[in-house]
Amino acid sequence: MAEAVLDCLTDAGLDDLSAVEHGLASYESDHFNLQMTLGAILQDTIGLTPKPSVRIEGGGATGALALRTAWAHVVSGLCDSILVYGVEKNGRGVSSRTANQLFALSADVDWEMMIGGTYTGFYAAMIRAHMAAFGTTERQFAHVAVRNRRNAGFNPIAQKAMDISVDDVLASLPIAEPYKLLDCSLLSDGAACILLATEDWAKAHCPRYGERPRVYFSASGCGTDTMRLGDRYPQITNFRAKREAARQAYDMAGISQPLAEIDVAELYDSYSGVEIQAVEDLGFVAEGEGGPAVASGAFDLDGELPVNTSGGLLGRGAPVGATGILQAIEVTQQLWGVADARRQVSDARRGLTDTHAGIASISVVNIFERAD
Amino acid sequence: MSDKVSSQIEIATIAGDPTTDPWREFRQVERITLELTQGYKYSLGKYSRFFIELENRRFMATRCDACAKTYAPPRPLCPSCLQPTTWQELSGEGAVETWSVLHFSPGSNADVRALETPFVLAYVLLDGADTLFPHLLKAPPEQVERGMRVRVAYSEGPVQHPIHLMYFVPVSTYEEAP
Repeated sequence: MAEAVLDCLTDAGLDDLSAVEHGLASYESDHFNLQMTLGAILQDTIGLTPKPSVRIEGGGATGALALRTAWAHVVSGLCDSILVYGVEKNGRGVSSRTANQLFALSADVDWEMMIGGTYTGFYAAMIRAHMAAFGTTERQFAHVAVRNRRNAGFNPIAQKAMDISVDDVLASLPIAEPYKLLDCSLLSDGAACILLATEDWAKAHCPRYGERPRVYFSASGCGTDTMRLGDRYPQITNFRAKREAARQAYDMAGISQPLAEIDVAELYDSYSGVEIQAVEDLGFVAEGEGGPAVASGAFDLDGELPVNTSGGLLGRGAPVGATGILQAIEVTQQLWGVADARRQVSDARRGLTDTHAGIASISVVNIFERAD
Repeated sequence: MSDKVSSQIEIATIAGDPTTDPWREFRQVERITLELTQGYKYSLGKYSRFFIELENRRFMATRCDACAKTYAPPRPLCPSCLQPTTWQELSGEGAVETWSVLHFSPGSNADVRALETPFVLAYVLLDGADTLFPHLLKAPPEQVERGMRVRVAYSEGPVQHPIHLMYFVPVSTYEEAP
């Protein structure tokens, strides 16, 4: 985490954090990190004491909810600058079995976890319903697994870039049918940090202000849904919370045709098929058309709307508390035009990040835009 | 391996350019094993009657008459009108709406650790209910299909978690071996 904070300072051209007014700790799990009130330790570690701090948690949406909360702190006038630092140790600390148990604690423990359920299983049941309703195929969602891992190859911070084919994905070990090993995202250790500030604060304190196009946090939406998939019956193919989050964010940003009006997006690809559901729920394509659209290459680097240029959760990695922040960093770098040339989207002016908790019990959509 | 630290897994050095890495003094990382086990005196709260009735081989849902909705799993509070619900027994028969075949068990409790993989996790629309009930379906994975008629079968235990006093079986299997 300290490395991410120093990288952020270097990027902002700041020598220290003395002018920063507020801290915000973003992490999901006391269990994975084996530390409660981790936020207090992080605030201490980076010398932000005695300034105010708050910890934000929202499952898989933690990092995006953290940025949304930080943005609310700034636009409300509570502070003019806030350092958002996110971290999680999901990767090396525990076995896959323990990791799945700990993640399953964020399902409904009495009714979903104790029967032997895992998130892979819940997501699998959901995409099976999507397949039954719309004819979505395993081959279509394998395309996501291939493309995002390929994109990761153009991102130096990615955890697991891979050069694989659709057939490799289809032939990989079944985990929770219809999801196979290569349809599943990564368990990761990682950290990320963003300094969010008013324009006046940035002008006054950041020596590098003005070197790059000004990017602002233009809109945010947050939706919720029932904890258990079964309670959503008969709507079990898609994410209602994501539709609500997108509706709010698009209203705020004045977007009516998201596919045409958004240039780059980081989507929550916890499983390959989830990206298909996301492009529908975010309104990029109509319900049921996500499978063919993804397989057509519409969301590839040379497609109509490049998504997961970073590699996504499948290729870049998924340290939960950092994930939504990593997405915002990727989108911002795309808007600045400083991403690796092999994954840079030309003239990107507006970007979107999409994350959710569980099977979208909480969903957060944030939008970033160039001001010029 | 250290002979002074019994739990030591490794001392690894993270790769980096020692001439430019600002963290070069801190790139050695020791990993050790930690064991932390908690037991819980865990309350099943307002759901308790569901689990108690499983011992009597009865499957209970809750109903909100005002909203005309029957919840399985039970909801003590109707989320639509915020009134307490009432218990209602269902037949335990229903149809598979969606499912997954799990080849990996997280071993969340002793009952789950005893499962053989692969196993079927099914979402069942019970007759008379308005929501889907998730549970294990003991049927050959290749025979499961949407709309398949299933019913609740009861276990005599002993089980660790009372949710395992029940599971689903295909109606056809149940009639062959009651």
